[in-house]
Amino acid sequence: MNKSRRLKDGILNGLTWLSTAVAVAVLLLVFIFMFRRGWSDLSWDLITTDYWPQNLNVAFRQGEAGAYTAPADLAAGDSFSTLYGFALRDATDTKKAKTLIITYVDPDSPLESAYITTAGSQQGLNQAIHEDASVQMLYYQDEDGQQVLAGLLAGDDAASLVQKLDTGSVSIQSMYYQTAGGGIRGSILATLLLIGLTLVIVLPIGILAAVYLNEVAGRNRLTALLRQAIETLNGVPSIIFGLSGVVMLFPVTQLFGASGQSILLGALTMAVILLPVVIRQTEEALIVVPQSLRMGSLALGATRSQTIFKVVLPNALPGILTATLLSVSRVIGESAALIYTMSTVVTDNPKILQPATSLAVQIWQIMSSEQPDFKLASAVSLIILMMVLLLNLTVKLITRRLSRRWA
Amino acid sequence: MNDRQPNALMLQHNRQRRKISDKIWRALFLISCVLSALMIVLIIIFIAVKGIRVFLPGYEYGQQNFWDFLTGMTWRQDSKTYGVGFIVINTFTTAAFAALLSFPVATLTALFIVKIAPERLRVAFTTVIELLAAIPSVVYGVFASGAITKLVQQLAAFFGQTSAAGISALSVILLLAIMIFPTICSMAIVAIQAVGKSLEWGSLALGASQTQTNFKVVLSAAKSGIFAGLVLGLGRAFGEATAVTMVAGNAMSGPSWNLFDTTRTLTTTMLSGMHETSGLDYDIRFSAGLVLMAVILLTNALIHLIKRKIGGVDHE
Repeated sequence: MNKSRRLKDGILNGLTWLSTAVAVAVLLLVFIFMFRRGWSDLSWDLITTDYWPQNLNVAFRQGEAGAYTAPADLAAGDSFSTLYGFALRDATDTKKAKTLIITYVDPDSPLESAYITTAGSQQGLNQAIHEDASVQMLYYQDEDGQQVLAGLLAGDDAASLVQKLDTGSVSIQSMYYQTAGGGIRGSILATLLLIGLTLVIVLPIGILAAVYLNEVAGRNRLTALLRQAIETLNGVPSIIFGLSGVVMLFPVTQLFGASGQSILLGALTMAVILLPVVIRQTEEALIVVPQSLRMGSLALGATRSQTIFKVVLPNALPGILTATLLSVSRVIGESAALIYTMSTVVTDNPKILQPATSLAVQIWQIMSSEQPDFKLASAVSLIILMMVLLLNLTVKLITRRLSRRWA
Repeated sequence: MNDRQPNALMLQHNRQRRKISDKIWRALFLISCVLSALMIVLIIIFIAVKGIRVFLPGYEYGQQNFWDFLTGMTWRQDSKTYGVGFIVINTFTTAAFAALLSFPVATLTALFIVKIAPERLRVAFTTVIELLAAIPSVVYGVFASGAITKLVQQLAAFFGQTSAAGISALSVILLLAIMIFPTICSMAIVAIQAVGKSLEWGSLALGASQTQTNFKVVLSAAKSGIFAGLVLGLGRAFGEATAVTMVAGNAMSGPSWNLFDTTRTLTTTMLSGMHETSGLDYDIRFSAGLVLMAVILLTNALIHLIKRKIGGVDHE
């Protein structure tokens, strides 16, 4: 090998190294970006709170003043009430109106003993007041036993409200406030409903179809045509599924009493999207089941369908499991098809026949609003990303086990 | 009657029952399969019917001219002007530029993974490529509107151009290049793996170096699979909706050849600014969907053609 040849080879090899480096760098960039933007907003509160803020009247079971110390990491502009153990900050909400935001609540604070007094089904329930709630007004009892109004309605800002409370009050009586909202509890529930419904629809049809293609059908042109038609579904973009779901599958949901976009419609659409995936995965598992098992079963006098259900399918279970996990991962990540079929209206109480958003659609909803809450979108994206990657890694492990099984 | 020795009548009865249930199950298998296969046909029919209705006389929200729709260079909801011509051009150009960026990198990466990388790296990288393919579109969208648009904004400032906060054709191209990379790369990996060892040995025996063999023999033997991957990637790019809509900006007319201008593709047209679920503005999205469907089916046909015509020696 001469020198110029070696140089050329080195350059070409270097190019392949460089390309791979670029690819890996981009992947890392996506990850690092998502973690840096989303990690700080990821919290238990985000997952458990409702999306829509709620206005509540509460009273306190133990409203008496105590003695509390401010936390060491209290932000500079916050006012801390030493008698009641919470911190307040002046802020403006999305409509540019003045609000008072609670930024810290001591675990023993009277605020933790609040219960709802608003008339309705929730009346009397314990409702501890958490960080990020915004205080409208409150009543406290002064040293003379008089009830005094404080808060936005009394023209207070954070400092003056805390000042009032800490200098002349014996106990706090009641409060009118708005919960923080902006959580994703409703979307998580809707996503779970969607996953369950989709699997219930797609797994039986997909598995039966795969059994037909691999166990029952003859090797003729009709089978090839059926296979080709199912394969073609793979290349169809998901937005097309969304469009066709609205016109084609909506009448089906009407039979169940839906009057518009609904989780059921989303699930039916997802089922169509996932059919080729489930069929392909199940078939791959069926193919590796040795022919001798089928022969043995048939020779013992079992019918074809008995053989399929008692001998072939049990051996194909890992493949069906893979199909299920892949389906779950696709449902979690799907957005375009669901924007059409499930709507972009976030709801806190998802019902099967009502519009709702999955997590991915909620991200879309956040990003397409006038002033996108980018950090929230990143946090939800991070949740989706981690779930999808985890599911896909599990699938990879299972398939590796599976390929070893009959080897 | 003895339990262990059922009489002949019962045996026959049992057998008959089993036969019937066998028949029922076989019917169910067939129905499921035919139902699955029918889906693609139904989808095409339903979208076609709804998409064409807009151009037929007697359409309740005002009949549209089909020719104007296909060749129109403006899409405005406010003046009810719907022309899809520039949108198709935009869809093709953004996808083509994305493929131009992604294709060489993806092919070289595939070559590296299969032929050059050490064994352990190979498994790791294949996993990485598969995971990249699994990342949901909406996550890429958030990434694009947070990172890619910032980059494009700085680029625009550097070249003295203005861009709407980085929302531009260039952002779409960069985003699509990232999103179709795993598709092209994994198809290339499969194609390169399928190249027979004997070809490689033949080349080495003739005195070619390993690198020469990789680039001249392996790549050209795998070219049909690699190009099929490219077309598959293009198909993905045409159909990608959520992420693209987040950075495209929905230009009302075009086509514009300035990369820093906003753009509009078929999918962004279908997805954005949707307020009602009836009326012309809603129905015309199905017509755009029909155009997209035609583009996708053409792409699929192209893949089959490439596999048959370009040949190569990869499939034994």
